[in-house]
Amino acid sequence: MTENIVEVVSIIAAALAVGFGAIGPALGEGRAVAAAMDAIARQPEAAGTLSRTLFVGLAMIETMAIYTLVIALLVLFANPFV
Amino acid sequence: MDNPLTVDTLFHLGPVPITTPVAVTWALMIGLTLFAWLSTRRLALVPGTLQTVLELFVTTVDGQVHDTMQRDPAPFRALIGTIFLFVLVANWTAVLPGVEPPTAHIETDAALAMIVFVATIAYGISGRGWRGYLATFAEPSWVMIPLNLVEQITRTFSLVVRLFGNVMSGVFVVGIVLSLAGLFLPIPLMALDLLTGAVQAYIFAVLATVFIGAAAGETPVAAKPDKEDTSP
Amino acid sequence: MTIDWWTLGLQTVNLVVLVWILARFLFRPVSQIIAERRAAAHAALDDADAARRMAESARDEARAEAEKTAALRAQILAAAREEATGEKDRLLNEARAAAELLRAEGASELERMRRAQQRALSREAGELAADIAGKLLDRIPDSARISGFIEGLAEAVAALPEASRRDLGAGGTVRLRAARDLTGTERTLLEQSLKDALGHAPELHIETDPGLIAGLEIVGPHAIVRNHLRADLDRIREEMADNG
Repeated sequence: MTENIVEVVSIIAAALAVGFGAIGPALGEGRAVAAAMDAIARQPEAAGTLSRTLFVGLAMIETMAIYTLVIALLVLFANPFV
Repeated sequence: MDNPLTVDTLFHLGPVPITTPVAVTWALMIGLTLFAWLSTRRLALVPGTLQTVLELFVTTVDGQVHDTMQRDPAPFRALIGTIFLFVLVANWTAVLPGVEPPTAHIETDAALAMIVFVATIAYGISGRGWRGYLATFAEPSWVMIPLNLVEQITRTFSLVVRLFGNVMSGVFVVGIVLSLAGLFLPIPLMALDLLTGAVQAYIFAVLATVFIGAAAGETPVAAKPDKEDTSP
Repeated sequence: MTIDWWTLGLQTVNLVVLVWILARFLFRPVSQIIAERRAAAHAALDDADAARRMAESARDEARAEAEKTAALRAQILAAAREEATGEKDRLLNEARAAAELLRAEGASELERMRRAQQRALSREAGELAADIAGKLLDRIPDSARISGFIEGLAEAVAALPEASRRDLGAGGTVRLRAARDLTGTERTLLEQSLKDALGHAPELHIETDPGLIAGLEIVGPHAIVRNHLRADLDRIREEMADNG
């Protein structure tokens, strides 16, 4: 156990990173989708432009979660301390 | 589960190790070159279906570049179009069995971002001259010089990690699900990969356009290209 | 995290080559063909524009021609109308003149007939007056038919010019017309009176003519001296006819 302490801490850190790192983008994506729905409800004829912009925006927000995933994967598979 | 961050060496060409992404990229290059050569061999004023699609693609790239930069898209057309096309095709190789997308490895993404970085500097210098381009780092005041320099690095790094993370995570998740249940279950995730790949290609191209356009400066030159002439 | 630098370098070279290849084989031809098509479309538009302009000019010409034709036609029509109006006026005038002529002829005919009728009436009235005078004279003494007129005849003969008086009776007998046979005393008185008036005694050849009603008439070779009711009535009738 003590000799594997670095791996244990790395796994916990990766889980925490992904878990907490997903909170912000999740909230952000929720707000973005809600705003887009509101806009489409007000202006149904602009649905095409709105959904295209929404997808791009969601991808940009998702990138934040992807960053944490990359960090977690780095911690798991490319840990410099192991 | 394999480590997604490592690359496999297929064979050695003399002292040079040839890895999977390089081999896949070569295959893609050959395919794209053949496609381009065959499809543009007989262009006509009255277009067929394939030519119409190609013209629509080129016109769309022109329109995006023009909308973003407010200038003639001709000097940037090939670079932006190639980046978009290559990233799109590379991302979509994820659906081929046994093929890993080159963009799922950070070397390819880093190479793309480096090209964009160099192109940004080159277009900035050619657009504004040495002094003009260096002066953009002191805007809005000289205090911002370190921040602007750091921004050049971080936005390039962000470009790399965004594409790499998205594609790699898609491949990784599909691999995990495949190890749990091999039949039918990965299909929605693969479809999501296709969507993500297209969106990431678009985002990469648009960001490259924005970077290059910001560096090249605002010299509004040409009129907006008409799209009526080429629409089918 | 390890980065394979060989892979990075190879990929960079690959991508630069790919950019060159696609620029050479994809983007340049396609954008060229787009530019060509745009130029062709512009040329076609220009051609269409030129054709439209030509068609417009042709249309304008045709319109001008049509206007000219219409003007000519209106002119011809106006001339024809004018001519017709003139012809109508002429015909009308002719008809009016003919009618006037006819009316004048009718009026003159009427006048002529009226005059003839009046003349006939006058004659009838004269004859009637002669009859009346004859009938009235029957009531008075028979001697009045001659004796009252001898004096007047003598005066009328005396009033004749000198040459006429000398001729009268110089060449033989003088015809003397009387209303009835003269009696001896009357004849004597008459010869006496004529002798006084003429200065010589003519030889009388007496004729009886009841148409004179009452009175005497000397018929010379150059002069006729009338002194009888018939002559008076005739004169009155002539005067009436002249006045009427």
